[in-house]
Amino acid sequence: MRLVVDLNKCQGYAQCAFLAPDVFTMHGEESLVYNPRVGPEQREQVARAVAACPVGAIAVEGLREASDAG
Amino acid sequence: MTQAPLLRRITDYANRADPYPLYEELRRTPVLQEEEGGPYAVSSYYDILGLLHDPRISSDAAHLTAPDDDELSEPEATGLPPSFLRLDPPEHDRLRRIANRSFGPPHRPHRIDSLRGELARIVTGLIDGFGDARQIDVVDQFAHPFPVTVICRLLGVPREDEPRFRGWVDLIVAALDPETRQSGDPQFLRTAQEARMQLGMYLAELVEQRAREPRDDMLSDLVADHGPDGAMSTMEVLSTAVLLLIAGHETTVNLIANGMLTLLRHPEFLHRLREDPALSVRIVEELLRYEPPVQLLPQRTCVADIELRGITIPKGSRIWLVLAAGNRDPERFRDPDRFDPDREDLGHLGFGSGIHICFGAPLARLEAQLALTELVRRLDNPRLVEDPPPYRQNAVLRGPRHLRIAVDAVRPSEAVRF
Repeated sequence: MRLVVDLNKCQGYAQCAFLAPDVFTMHGEESLVYNPRVGPEQREQVARAVAACPVGAIAVEGLREASDAG
Repeated sequence: MTQAPLLRRITDYANRADPYPLYEELRRTPVLQEEEGGPYAVSSYYDILGLLHDPRISSDAAHLTAPDDDELSEPEATGLPPSFLRLDPPEHDRLRRIANRSFGPPHRPHRIDSLRGELARIVTGLIDGFGDARQIDVVDQFAHPFPVTVICRLLGVPREDEPRFRGWVDLIVAALDPETRQSGDPQFLRTAQEARMQLGMYLAELVEQRAREPRDDMLSDLVADHGPDGAMSTMEVLSTAVLLLIAGHETTVNLIANGMLTLLRHPEFLHRLREDPALSVRIVEELLRYEPPVQLLPQRTCVADIELRGITIPKGSRIWLVLAAGNRDPERFRDPDRFDPDREDLGHLGFGSGIHICFGAPLARLEAQLALTELVRRLDNPRLVEDPPPYRQNAVLRGPRHLRIAVDAVRPSEAVRF
């Protein structure tokens, strides 16, 4: 799966970093660091993170495919 | 025939089962003050969102110029300092930052994620507890005990103390219900006040212990003096713990009970969830829009005059932000009265927004996702015994008091992967 976070939208609510902590990491209060390439073992966590983002800033390519394959 | 004012009809218990037509009526006057000195109710999505981010809106009760005496006002004083829910920056920010250091990223990024296995065990245990009953009260037997058990584990309440702890919390939560407060049975209210004191004393002792011998739990982190903001005082830890308990309890109970009720009313999604646990993520988001556990925020005030849609809301006025009305605003959501977990358009107001956005949101999401997934997986042919179910009095924290369902069987648990 490939991830993109729209950092212009991101407000630092950190919901993704709670729900997929091995993919999204907060550095300090507001800056987000993430790994744009994630393996299928993170699929559930990434799906939770995407849905929980209050500003809808996370886009994932291949989330559904990974879901079908899983 | 003259009708009662709209805001009174919204709080009227007779309309608790379905307040949504009233919210639709409310949105026709998106900024409404019905009675002199009464609150200004704001009900359109974008107005609410704007005000949730507006620094002129305060959550601090000290800014009220009018006495806070309607049915949605605060229950009796707790004797504790105000929690960050009822504070503005900078005090709010300091306390919330310290609380967050014990709860989430960047300091404790795995706190919630690492609870998943424990959540699954608690859920499995509660469903196992249904035994071979053919009728179950989802509220009393499941949704109610679940979050308080979780919060015990999170705070670090030892297991052997959990029953005692739960007893106090049950009394305190029961005493917050407007029905109990209005009926005002002095004996009961004294018992609840006593429970509050005992819970406070118990927590104070636990906090002291954790300050001496820290463990991997929230209370230890709250009193550890390792952040730029320092530690919370014991009193601040107590109000934070009570806030997490009370704010995190009823809301989660309602999210799960509203969720099960909604799935039983829309069996297509119940069946799909049974086949595909991943759907729980979308279902919970849609529930937070469609049947939000917190219907409105009645305790905000403005600290300056605010112009909204040509109306001046004078400084010191009380404002109701009617989240449940905003969540069904057709300007924002297409076909808003339809429960549709497939909608691409997330962005509900179920957890609020801005600096006071629900602190426990990530935990609440996981709890509800897991609870609903396991309930539908393990209950064979669940049916509502009564529809609508009986509701709690509370118009703000709205949800069923009981949710009785009939089942053909409770399936045995399998290994839960969550």
